[in-house]
Amino acid sequence: PADTPDPSQARARSAPAPITDVAKLCVCDLLVAQCDVNCCCDPDCSADDFSLFTTCSVPVVTGDSQLCSQKAAVYSLDVEANPPERIFKLIDQVNPSIFCIHAANYKQALYLKSPEIPTPENFDRLLDKFGGATFNAEPDSWNLDPDAQNPPDANETYRYEYGAPVQTEEAFLRLPSPVVSSWCSDANPAGFLVNQATKCIRSVSVENCDSIQALSMLFYINSSILASVFQVNITVQSIVVQSLDGMRTLLSTSDVLRLPMVLDGLCINAVLGVNYHITHTDTGEIIEAAAAFVLGAISKEALSIEQSFEISFTQENTQPVPLSGNPGYVVGLPVRAGFWPQGYPFPAGFSSNKHSQLTILQSTSTQDCLAAQGARAPVLFGYNMISGCKLRITAAMKCQPLAQTLLDVLKGQSFPEYVASFGNSQAQDVLDWVPITQLHISEQMISNTLQSSCQIPVSLGIEVKWTKYGSLVNPQARIVNVTATITTTTLKQLPSGRERIIPVTSSVVFTDISSPAEPSYKAWPTINIKLPFDFFYPFV
Amino acid sequence: NNSSQLSSLPLQILLYVNGVYYIFYFLATLAMIIYKSQVFSYPDDFLAPDLAVLFLMAILEVPRLYLGFKGNLTEAEAPLGLSLGLTVGSVVLCVYLLLWQTYVLWADVLLNAVLLSAYGLESGLKVTAIAAFVS
Repeated sequence: PADTPDPSQARARSAPAPITDVAKLCVCDLLVAQCDVNCCCDPDCSADDFSLFTTCSVPVVTGDSQLCSQKAAVYSLDVEANPPERIFKLIDQVNPSIFCIHAANYKQALYLKSPEIPTPENFDRLLDKFGGATFNAEPDSWNLDPDAQNPPDANETYRYEYGAPVQTEEAFLRLPSPVVSSWCSDANPAGFLVNQATKCIRSVSVENCDSIQALSMLFYINSSILASVFQVNITVQSIVVQSLDGMRTLLSTSDVLRLPMVLDGLCINAVLGVNYHITHTDTGEIIEAAAAFVLGAISKEALSIEQSFEISFTQENTQPVPLSGNPGYVVGLPVRAGFWPQGYPFPAGFSSNKHSQLTILQSTSTQDCLAAQGARAPVLFGYNMISGCKLRITAAMKCQPLAQTLLDVLKGQSFPEYVASFGNSQAQDVLDWVPITQLHISEQMISNTLQSSCQIPVSLGIEVKWTKYGSLVNPQARIVNVTATITTTTLKQLPSGRERIIPVTSSVVFTDISSPAEPSYKAWPTINIKLPFDFFYPFV
Repeated sequence: NNSSQLSSLPLQILLYVNGVYYIFYFLATLAMIIYKSQVFSYPDDFLAPDLAVLFLMAILEVPRLYLGFKGNLTEAEAPLGLSLGLTVGSVVLCVYLLLWQTYVLWADVLLNAVLLSAYGLESGLKVTAIAAFVS
């Protein structure tokens, strides 16, 4: 009884020895005790099976080709013979290079490393190392031991380069993200100047939600970033509270730290999203860090929640405006638009910010025009879009306010006046901006339209004409003309009690008006040879 | 009087050629070790002994050749005997580089075989020269 555990333990401790005999190795032998088709090295195949093959899928099996001489098993089919038979040859393959390996005394160099087999003794150590969701090849370089780390000098400036992990007192600024599966891993460091947005799932339980660190605001702001000279604390920029049905409210005071707690069977103040904004100088020093939170409530039935994280970097004293192309527009990026500020006679340039984008009405699930206030989608270059809603007209509605409301619904709060012709047009280059031409079309041309009939807008069509500009091999898209056409129709007075539903549509169409390209060639070089005038001196 | 000259001319030639060949051998072996460390997996525990042996052999070679020249030209057997002793050490290191290096390439085999044969021939000539000087 004392002997029997030992042989099994000894067997379990080492993995089976790898097969190195080339005559016995067969990569295409996948079916056990059956013949694989076109596998000439399969030992389960008989001579009858070989006669049915067409080629050999594995023609040669060799060891490491860098050795000077090694055994090779060569399989081929002799199709001349009747029936076709398999030829198996064991040859010595010679590497003619003078730098071939004659002998290698380091055995592991030529073979893959065999993994450790878990035994009762090393199981805990292996579980520690490999049991988590992630493990990397150099475990010591990432886990900075706080005791071993020497604190930075007061004069040491922390300059970050692109992609370098943003360091904090303990380790790195964390941006939880999904690694292998969708579950959040807290070991993802944020890279400097790398704008990231991640979404991942975290498992929660409402009973002990105040003890889960990742649900509390403190977890995300209690570390201070190491920057030049002093450390930068992460401030709370804003807090948005999301209710269970998805409605978000911005809190007016954001300096009170709201920690998760259990209330009425719900866990409130749980972090659903964090948005980091880091401000840096142009030499790579971080000067400010702020975090905007989205807090929400978790109900009892929820076993997991989705958290979203984002980090963005801005240079100080700049207001970044994302380009839509450089220089031509890129398909899928928003069309940039702006206003001509009221200045006389030469204002400084266009004002183009987020609120003056070219947008169209976005269809909602209720399809009610009057309830769709505010939902707009940006116009993306190259994407023709159409959207709409339904308007229910009752007899009690007055014409003028209805027309104005519909115009607001179609055009939005601030319809821009100019559109950038290139994706990277600067606000101060006045000639790079194209004015939007506004047209009004009346649907019903009745001769006596000048009567007090009511015209309400029912359709907005934006047509963007663009052309290819620049070189033949790399044409850039350039917007040449933008026309916004409002179509109005007459609203007939309804008898009281009746109501009518009319559809309201808005559309964007991109038309390519490039003229066909004319390749132009450079002129052939002419050879102008003129001898100096006294070349034939003294004969002439 | 030429007939009473005991210095061995073949030994002198061989020592000279050995010196020139050794410089080439050292540079070539060092270059190949660098090549091997880039192309193959060459951990530091295996790289250190190989480099140590190569540099030790270079350090031994200088006094060995000097003593050989001096002993042969002054027809003294003591320096020649010392040189013979150092040759034994060099032979051992050369055999290590030929057989027990981490990676022995075909070029390594050629270089070390030529060096080993030169050492062998030299030892034989030195023994003959010592015998001639002593008697």
